[in-house]
Amino acid sequence: MLILDSVHTYYGHIHALKGISLTVNKGEVVTLIGSNGAGKTTTLNTISGVLPTRAGAIYFQDSPRSAGDGSPNARDIDIRLDRLPAHDVARLGVSQSPEGRKIFARLTVQENLAMGAFARSDPEGVLHDLERVFELFPRLKERLSQPGGTLSGGEQQMLAIGRALMSSPRILLLDEPSMGLAPLLVQQIFQIIREINAQGMTILLVEQNAQAALQVADRGYVLETGNIVLSGPAGDLLANPQVAEAYLGI
Amino acid sequence: MTSSPATSQAAGTDGRTVLRQLTRVLGAVIVLLVIWRVATVGLAEGYPASFWISQALNGLVLGGVYALVALGYTLVYGILFMINFAHGEVMMIGGITGYFALQFALARGWMEGPWAVVVFALLLIMVIGMAASVLIGVALERLAYRPLRQAPRLVPLISAIGASLFLQYSVLLIFGVSPHSYRKPALISGGLRLGDVFIPYTGAIIFITSILLMLALYFIIQRTKLGRAMRAVAEDRATASLMGVDVNAVIVVTFMLGSALAGAAGVMLGFHNTVVKFNSGFIPGLKAFTAAVLGGIGNIPGAMFGALILGLIEAIGPSALGIPTEYKDVIAFSLLVLILIFRPTGLFGEVLSEKKA
Ligand SMILES: Nc1ncnc2c1ncn2[C@@H]1O[C@H](COP(=O)(O)OP(=O)(O)OP(=O)(O)O)[C@@H](O)[C@H]1O
Ligand SMILES: [Mg+2]
Repeated sequence: MLILDSVHTYYGHIHALKGISLTVNKGEVVTLIGSNGAGKTTTLNTISGVLPTRAGAIYFQDSPRSAGDGSPNARDIDIRLDRLPAHDVARLGVSQSPEGRKIFARLTVQENLAMGAFARSDPEGVLHDLERVFELFPRLKERLSQPGGTLSGGEQQMLAIGRALMSSPRILLLDEPSMGLAPLLVQQIFQIIREINAQGMTILLVEQNAQAALQVADRGYVLETGNIVLSGPAGDLLANPQVAEAYLGI
Repeated sequence: MTSSPATSQAAGTDGRTVLRQLTRVLGAVIVLLVIWRVATVGLAEGYPASFWISQALNGLVLGGVYALVALGYTLVYGILFMINFAHGEVMMIGGITGYFALQFALARGWMEGPWAVVVFALLLIMVIGMAASVLIGVALERLAYRPLRQAPRLVPLISAIGASLFLQYSVLLIFGVSPHSYRKPALISGGLRLGDVFIPYTGAIIFITSILLMLALYFIIQRTKLGRAMRAVAEDRATASLMGVDVNAVIVVTFMLGSALAGAAGVMLGFHNTVVKFNSGFIPGLKAFTAAVLGGIGNIPGAMFGALILGLIEAIGPSALGIPTEYKDVIAFSLLVLILIFRPTGLFGEVLSEKKA
């Protein structure tokens, strides 16, 4: 569904991604793990079109959605994402919940959720997804008219994920959804990732918390200073002594 | 005294606190001086109440016009963090274009027609002025600012000043140095007399139109999808683009809205001052900028109230301070300097610092 083919990304002269190749298949949870500064956020932002690629290609393929789900563009998708600006990537259904949540602090919770649905033109679908988000995060429903900036860190994370879901994405990119949360809440977030995936969502999950990420993921990639050094089924990575030593703190 | 970093840091903080207190004292002294001057000179003149009321109404009319222009400064600042110093010229172009639309209407005798025709013609003139300003505003964004989006902040500012001069002298070259005079239709020439207070129709129309346009803008910003996207882009461009918002399109729309308001202001100022020429956007532009700073630049209600307050101060100030009316500009610009020194965030809060955080 999503294919990165030796993608290179730079920040000025800094070579941040040095030929990343990875694949996410429909319905999978794929996790991207690596230490600080490895290039995980850079990878997601390159996919989203916030950062330009210097070389390589990003393909996005999807079959038409089943009829009746209200999707406005039910046609075959096979597109080079790296040639599109960020807003067009988002409109194709590649939705990111960015690192650090990036809630619009002065917009209310309701307006933040509405921003998630910005590109949509199917009001019934939007209402339906709003109900779904409230089912996943009942807390948000109580906070609707509050400015996003006044939410607690955990609530902001829920809002960030909810906002990403409001776009009715074909693939969800999550950047460190467990960052800065209390252990109980971390568990809850991973539980919700499982739930969303069980409902059919394809997910690319970036995490510091490699243990938890590999437990929910089908497959994983290990990123080190801009290169993918290891990849495979999540179970294999969990059992891999190299991974255990470097990322699982064993 | 030891020179450990801790103590020198404490000394630095102390120094700043002392300085802040000094500024505060100085500010209070200036306020007291102004009050003293008003009490001993302005009020001692013994003008009747109707005089002050007339002046205040005049101030509200000017304030309404300033508000429309101030909103353009504040909208653009809110999204790009830059001061569009050519905004006064955007207004002037609206005024000049409105003049030609008015000539067209006069030549066809629309201005002597039945009142419905006159009203329609006036609306048409305003819309044409607004359209011209929108064109100029969009061109400015595209040619003078967008290429410099990644440049240090000072660079677009210089480009703005260049654009301002370019527009002024282009108009001078094309339309000459002599002022073009707006001829009011008879329908709106008179006024309303309430006791000793005279309210000219033009003033009333200008004020009401300004308020309606401001309400329309406020509605767009607060209640529409477009407005929501504008606020999102103002907060965080990259994240807004992750939501599918075309950031460049939103920036263009922001310039369009600000310029449309400025164009309306230009036409109304034409009717109010009865003349327009190449440099007639300059001083009102600076005044509107002052108003935007007074209300806290980037703050939309702030720009509206800042402008109304500035209009009032400018209208009442000269008589209250007992100085000739020609010095009213001095009052406005002294105010600008004083706000920048004593309250750089403006009267209505902390928008600037909040956004930097
Ligand atoms: N805006 C930027 N300008 C310059 N260099 C950057 C920028 N953003 C990131 N980098 C560099 O690119 C590399 C990858 O950063 P990235 O944010 O992708 O790491 P990450 O894997 O997400 O790390 P973390 O786990 O800390 O979030 C780092 O070396 C970082 O210093
Ligand atoms: Mg990161």
